[in-house]
Amino acid sequence: MKSRLWSVFATVLVISIMLTACNTAPKPTEQTVDKPADQVAQATCGVVQLQYWNPFTGPDGPFMGQMVEAFNASHSDIQVTMTSQGEYYTQLATAAAADTLPDVAIVHADQVPTQAFRNVLRPMDALVAEMGITASDYPAGVWEAGQVAGKRYAIPLDIHPMTAFYNADLLKTAGFSAPPATGAEFEAIAAALTGNGNQGFDITGGFPVQQIFQQMLHQFGGTEFNADGTAATWNSEAGVKALQWMKDVQAKYSEPNLEVDAELNAFKTGTVGMVWNGIWQTANVTGDGVEFDGRATAVPQIGPQMAVWAGSHQLTLPVHKTVDPCKDQAAAVFIKYLVQNSVTWAKGGQIPASVSVRASAEFKAVEPQASIAPSVEYAFFPPSIPGITDAFGPLGEAVGAVMNGTTSDIQGALNDAAQRANEILAQNKATYGDAPKAP
Amino acid sequence: MATGKRKFTIIPYLFILPHLVFFIIFVGYPFFNGLYISFFNYDYLRPEATTFVGLQNYLDLFRVGSVKYFEFWNSMRVTLTFVVSSVPFLILIPLGLATLLNTKVPGSNAFRAIYFAPWVLSCAVISLIWWWIFQSQGGLLNHYLGALGLPTPRWLSTMPYAMITIVIATVWWTMGYNMIIFLAAMQDIPADLYEAGRVDGANAWQRFAHITLPLLRPVMTFIVITTIIASFNLLGQPMMMTRGDPRMPNGGGATEPVMLRIFTEGFVRPFQGSAAAMSVIVAMMMMLFSFANFRIFRQHE
Repeated sequence: MKSRLWSVFATVLVISIMLTACNTAPKPTEQTVDKPADQVAQATCGVVQLQYWNPFTGPDGPFMGQMVEAFNASHSDIQVTMTSQGEYYTQLATAAAADTLPDVAIVHADQVPTQAFRNVLRPMDALVAEMGITASDYPAGVWEAGQVAGKRYAIPLDIHPMTAFYNADLLKTAGFSAPPATGAEFEAIAAALTGNGNQGFDITGGFPVQQIFQQMLHQFGGTEFNADGTAATWNSEAGVKALQWMKDVQAKYSEPNLEVDAELNAFKTGTVGMVWNGIWQTANVTGDGVEFDGRATAVPQIGPQMAVWAGSHQLTLPVHKTVDPCKDQAAAVFIKYLVQNSVTWAKGGQIPASVSVRASAEFKAVEPQASIAPSVEYAFFPPSIPGITDAFGPLGEAVGAVMNGTTSDIQGALNDAAQRANEILAQNKATYGDAPKAP
Repeated sequence: MATGKRKFTIIPYLFILPHLVFFIIFVGYPFFNGLYISFFNYDYLRPEATTFVGLQNYLDLFRVGSVKYFEFWNSMRVTLTFVVSSVPFLILIPLGLATLLNTKVPGSNAFRAIYFAPWVLSCAVISLIWWWIFQSQGGLLNHYLGALGLPTPRWLSTMPYAMITIVIATVWWTMGYNMIIFLAAMQDIPADLYEAGRVDGANAWQRFAHITLPLLRPVMTFIVITTIIASFNLLGQPMMMTRGDPRMPNGGGATEPVMLRIFTEGFVRPFQGSAAAMSVIVAMMMMLFSFANFRIFRQHE
């Protein structure tokens, strides 16, 4: 009996050793970020294995898979393994804690500063210079989004703008041959299509109304935050105009109180003239996705100046305790390949961020992406500070509450939200400080 | 009842040891570690920024007018509303079903299986099923309500309907479990008690009220406590069905439960210290509820 007791203790001991063993992983050695290529002889690396993570679990995943396969086929010395997963930033955070981050990862533009400050990403200035990728090949906003506290953390792959989807059959029946490009045209078409059980323009009370608001705010000349990202400024006159415009078109042309995705589902039944959503919905609501002539185009200019909400997928190098120069070199080759061949990616429903790729004849043949592409020159991005997505939380609440009718006080809701966002901004500044920890 | 001096034997402890080891690793240690980090500004990815803040994380949650105050207490109110509106149904409906299925009707086994079946489904599956029923564009319910000329509310995006949909989905999903427990307890009640009742002229209602219910009391305590705890842990259904919407003008969502708020605070925003403080407050409330339950049910004995 006593021996049995000892065997139990022995088991416990073994388990606890196994658990502590995880904490005594290899100590960080030399931190060699961005070692020049000439120091790394190609011969010493052999075939380099790269892990590549992205959040493309939807229909765009296979397009990225194609690019990775093509890359592997054309590069005998590098083998890339792609992993697409949901709950993406939770996965990145846990992997960071366990030092099992991939070698290359896609990160959304608005997440780059947060992930940089949380020691998930590392700067890549030298490597970017080596790759020959420069700011001149990108719209200023999307390039600046990858810059954190003076260092480069990300290279833009694509820009995914807010897109106007329309039912060309309904428009034609009402006598319109083209989608609206101005506020007056928008009103005329929406008004003509509304009635007889049809809606001219459906808008929800959930995602993406906050993004639509941001777009209208910029079109009316406002901004979400002041230049250094210390105060929310969406409760300006432009903000009130923007939200009032949304509320008005909802009242006139939309069904009330729609939940998330309801506008797309209604559009797919063929009873809705126009909806605005992200370009990633193209396959869902145009072409073979619907039984009518569903089309995608750039959003119209409603306010005095043009602006388009957009997100951007960016290529990054995650942190490793021990940096392998071979892998960094291989990652640079892979990243450059993805950027240069982003036409394949465009076919998945995105707009390449690179100006030269967008100018190529190959991309110009990809529709409707090519005709939406000019609008990304008007894309705007949030200030590059950590935790900025949290500061958007109150804005989403205010816009959602107004659109869902839980409040009708537009100025009041925006003021309250700005006040809460200011508190979050101050909290974030105190938590994160001014620059990420030196790598 | 104990006679003389009890002899210490190791064997019973060895039997509980395997569970105890895992309990300590997966419940005991995380609990105390959570308590510990609730006194810090803490982000596990930025160990360099860990600072001791004492009770500040707790005080922030009670500072009226602050963002954390609004967000936390809004979600707390949502969870409590859900507990209050779901627990009665989750006890009365299973009790009624168990009583019906306890009679010897043909096919009662089939009914038992049918009512229990939803329980084996995962939260994501039942949420999707009910989302399809309640959604506004061609959803099943509004289609038939419309066909009958009845009002068709926006079930998922307006109040109080959004909360009602979550309660209905949850009751349908989990009532089978409580029903089976009630049923097992009812089958343990000796038949001769009912026989005696019948001889004394008690009708069906009187037999239920004076024989079944009193003998179900221990099981009732168990069911009330576990159901309240399960309802407190509400997370998946609103996450899938309403995404916490509709949003509230002064912060948070009208169907955003406290567990979702804690997840957001700790993992979407990296404020694990403050998320831990929220968890501790919720845990204390759950303990209070459980303790009150034990007291209430014991008083009757």
